[in-house]
Amino acid sequence: MKSEALIVTGPGLEMDTMFVNLGPQHPSTHGVLRLGLTLAGEVITKAFPDIGYLHRGTEKLMEARNYHQCVILTDRWDYCSAMPNNLAFCLSAEKLMAVAIPPRAQALRVIMCELNRIASHLIFLGTYGIDIGAFTPFLYAFREREMILDLYEKCCGARLTYNYIRLGGVAADIDSDWVAKCREFLEYFKPRLDEYDTLLSFNPIFLARTQEVGLIPKEAAVGWGLSGPNLRGSGVSYDVRKSEPYCGYEAYDFDVPVGTHGSCWDRYFCRVQEMRQSVRILEAALTKLPSGELMAKGLAKVPRPPAGEAYAHVEASRGDLGIYLVSDGGVAPYRIHVRAPCFINLAILQEILIGKKVADVIAVLGSFDIVLGEVDR
Amino acid sequence: MNPLAGADAVARLLAAVPKAEIASSPVKDYPTIRLAAPADLLLAARLLKGDLGFMYLEMVTAVDWLGPVNLGGFVCGGNSNPLSRKPAAPPVSPVPGPGVSYRPMLDLLWSFGNLGENRKIFLRLELPRDRAEVPSLTSLFAAADWQEREAFDLFGIRFTGHPNLIKILTPDFLQGHPLRKDYVHAKDRYDEE
Repeated sequence: MKSEALIVTGPGLEMDTMFVNLGPQHPSTHGVLRLGLTLAGEVITKAFPDIGYLHRGTEKLMEARNYHQCVILTDRWDYCSAMPNNLAFCLSAEKLMAVAIPPRAQALRVIMCELNRIASHLIFLGTYGIDIGAFTPFLYAFREREMILDLYEKCCGARLTYNYIRLGGVAADIDSDWVAKCREFLEYFKPRLDEYDTLLSFNPIFLARTQEVGLIPKEAAVGWGLSGPNLRGSGVSYDVRKSEPYCGYEAYDFDVPVGTHGSCWDRYFCRVQEMRQSVRILEAALTKLPSGELMAKGLAKVPRPPAGEAYAHVEASRGDLGIYLVSDGGVAPYRIHVRAPCFINLAILQEILIGKKVADVIAVLGSFDIVLGEVDR
Repeated sequence: MNPLAGADAVARLLAAVPKAEIASSPVKDYPTIRLAAPADLLLAARLLKGDLGFMYLEMVTAVDWLGPVNLGGFVCGGNSNPLSRKPAAPPVSPVPGPGVSYRPMLDLLWSFGNLGENRKIFLRLELPRDRAEVPSLTSLFAAADWQEREAFDLFGIRFTGHPNLIKILTPDFLQGHPLRKDYVHAKDRYDEE
């Protein structure tokens, strides 16, 4: 974007810079993120994202816990969408143990993760609207999210940190009543997506604030290791569900929406379109839900995966969530590393904020959809 | 992903990088190459990025092979709830499983992706714990910036040539590198008496 600010240079005309702390307690930083901004007038000359305020050391904690206890800790990374966290951890451990997951459990994992994607993108839609100054969409988004949380509560008892996907399968079954309720939700939700488009996506004020702001070219997006809707917003069609299908995603028919020039609006609209695709996946999964077991047979109560290393990654709501797991044959993981998409997505801020005006910082930051629980782990 | 899909890239790497070999302990299902010396890293990374199309640095991490984790590295406050049961002994055994040898080494791991051809390749390099120094990849991959800072903060690995190698996750006053297996927590002002 062409900067409208005029910076006068010349002898005796040097501009004083000002240092502004944005956060860590600020409603628009979506958690405890601190941005140290150096400003020349209204224009940012240096940006320093400061993280770690929510660092709980889960990777270390897991080294002294058994695998079932670790699943509980995974919920605490991306707490807005905890199901894919459970899934990524379980997939990596199951890879080491070479367990075959029953088909019904596979389908349930897909259903829960896609519902979580919708719930998580709804939070984004609502809070991004608020960041830009549109309060109303937030109320609509949370009305719909509430219905998903009710579905979760009915199935596994929890609304935020589920611990639902377990080693070898899933914790609880769904009945026909749940399936009917879920279908009811999908039917209710589809027209709501059109409503969001009229309310927010194509709102002229919203477009003006986001369409030309925070541009990330394709090469920069790949070079900085962005993933998820942030990468796809820049026009790179990379989705782990397509590139390395897990849980039988290859059997579902869905598209990977991509943006055109990597603006805040492209990232936003990728997420909105992803919700439509999730609805498609959910409808297919509910229709051909297989019957059978929920848990793999022959899994020890306290698993001891054979010594070795495994890497498994999933397309979580916010990007490519990878788990690198090292086992030394003991009951606790010897080492676990989380490739946290939010952490890696956030690093590009120090580059793209330079030259932007202060008023655009919130629009850019919000468009990355970060959850500090995952940034800091 | 078909692990053999990367066979061509693996062969090119093995031919170009001296003493590189297929790792004896691979990341399951992925091509994994072990480098012999830190100096080979930039050579391998340049080849991967420039000629082979691996533009996506997916992950930078490390494993400390010293042995079972020292439980002094955890803060274990007493539970004031009278109904709580005493926690079971932490599941850490001093004896490694078959095929694992504990040694005072840090095993570094990089993962590179070729998004267009849908391939992935892992590089690894073993460094002594007391002299863990390796060239930074920030000049080739912007994504290395924070991930190397994370490895520096949690493992104490020095990435030479990194423009801004400072702590990223742990607080400024914290001494030591928490993910090292012998890390011991020093009581600070936030711990309960």
